[in-house]
Amino acid sequence: MKRIIATLVAVIFAATACGGASTAPSATPAASATPSKPKFELSTYMYAIQTKGKIRIGTQEDNFPFSVKNPATGKWEGFDVDVGRELAKAIFGTSDDPDKNIEYVAVTSATRIPSLTDNKADVIIKTFTITDERKQQIDFSDVYFITGQRILVKKSDDKIKEAADLAEKTVCAQRGSTSEQNVTKATGGRAKLLLLDSYPACLLALQQGQADAVSTDETILFGLVKQDPNTKIVGKPFSDEPYGIGIKKNQGNDRNGFVPFVNQWVGTLISGGTWAKLYEKHITPVSNDKKQTPKG
Amino acid sequence: MIAFQFPDLFFGGLWLTIQISVLGLAGALVIGTAVALLRVSPTALLRWVGGAYVEFFRNTPLVVQLFFLFLGLPLIGIRFSTDTFENNFRAAFIGMGLYHAAYVAEVVRGGLLGVERGQIEAARSLGLSYPQMLRFVQLPQTFRSVVPPLGNIAIALVKNTALASTIGVAELLSAAEIVESRTFRAEESYLAATFLFLVLTLPLGFVVNTLERRMVIAR
Repeated sequence: MKRIIATLVAVIFAATACGGASTAPSATPAASATPSKPKFELSTYMYAIQTKGKIRIGTQEDNFPFSVKNPATGKWEGFDVDVGRELAKAIFGTSDDPDKNIEYVAVTSATRIPSLTDNKADVIIKTFTITDERKQQIDFSDVYFITGQRILVKKSDDKIKEAADLAEKTVCAQRGSTSEQNVTKATGGRAKLLLLDSYPACLLALQQGQADAVSTDETILFGLVKQDPNTKIVGKPFSDEPYGIGIKKNQGNDRNGFVPFVNQWVGTLISGGTWAKLYEKHITPVSNDKKQTPKG
Repeated sequence: MIAFQFPDLFFGGLWLTIQISVLGLAGALVIGTAVALLRVSPTALLRWVGGAYVEFFRNTPLVVQLFFLFLGLPLIGIRFSTDTFENNFRAAFIGMGLYHAAYVAEVVRGGLLGVERGQIEAARSLGLSYPQMLRFVQLPQTFRSVVPPLGNIAIALVKNTALASTIGVAELLSAAEIVESRTFRAEESYLAATFLFLVLTLPLGFVVNTLERRMVIAR
């Protein structure tokens, strides 16, 4: 019985492997990947991931244009998702379908840190602002994206133009996010905060007049404007939001060499021009600008 | 304790939780009893209406109902208040009341049916009208038998108020989440919220137990 199962598993494995690499059919599943597979020190976490065969990438299911799980196809799409695919390639070698080496872990703003500290994900790539408070809990990679917090209002609204105008207004933000604290800071605590679980809910509240404005990172607001063309983004950015890739702290040597590796990879992602291509693909359609590096 | 470092959030949250619980429970008892009376009514149509109410509210998630009351109703022009925070607060306790009324209705209906048929027939043959019979014979006995299960519903309601955080009501759970996101002291924040919930539910449980014992002796 065991042998039958073993044979079946081998057959299925071989079949899927051939299907995945149809351009270069090979006898053994391993052979196709081996040539381009990067080599790592045995003690490093990259080696551990490579051996396991999958990297667990934590990202959000509804965070256009950064990460969206397409409801029609079930495939993940977006800037953060493609950054994750590049990271998978850096660990497992170039491949037509990096997704076969990726296990996506759906996270929300509130579960990002716990999913790292509880070892549910290897990296969090999800519009994750680097802050000193968060650094006490987890490590961040170098900055791979920079954005700022702005304000979304109805197109008909000509009263709210800057952060200062938010005083005494009802402002919607996501509970457990830096946006909420930035609004409090920018208005000296004079804005009334409506804290909901997601920005689509905030948009709904704005549409119905339950909130006067929605405030968060500009990049998230782009997604909302795309959903509802009757809204507009106003004001200068009143925060500097550097996004990093979240990684569990190297406690007990369980993440050896991982942060330096990711940092080096972020560097080549930007200098090699891949970053600019991803920006143009995912961000430009909503921002109408082009950037070569996170800084501009 | 972290609750004293953020008293506005935690104790403000506790106060909102208490308000939603009390108003929600009052609503649930009134609506629930009314629905139970519909369910045992002699008229088939009324029985059907009562049944439909119970099935609808019992078989859809409370969080969806709350979301509908807060963000769905304004789409058809209904709003409980022009002020957003008054509106979501009202949506919260109205939602609590409507949802738990379905459970109250089932409990009260059980109690109504538990009253001996003979007593009802005796009351009617003595010349009491249907409302009089309810008022003097069936309902008093019902209330006695339904106190313990109603107590359980009350405790469930207090705990379910945590869902009001999803529509932006700054109740206890929401306070814990906000403090957690500011301090990253997750364990302390949620333990504080847990403790404050227990401060509400444990005495409630004690009251229910005491009432239950009293009722048994009185019988």
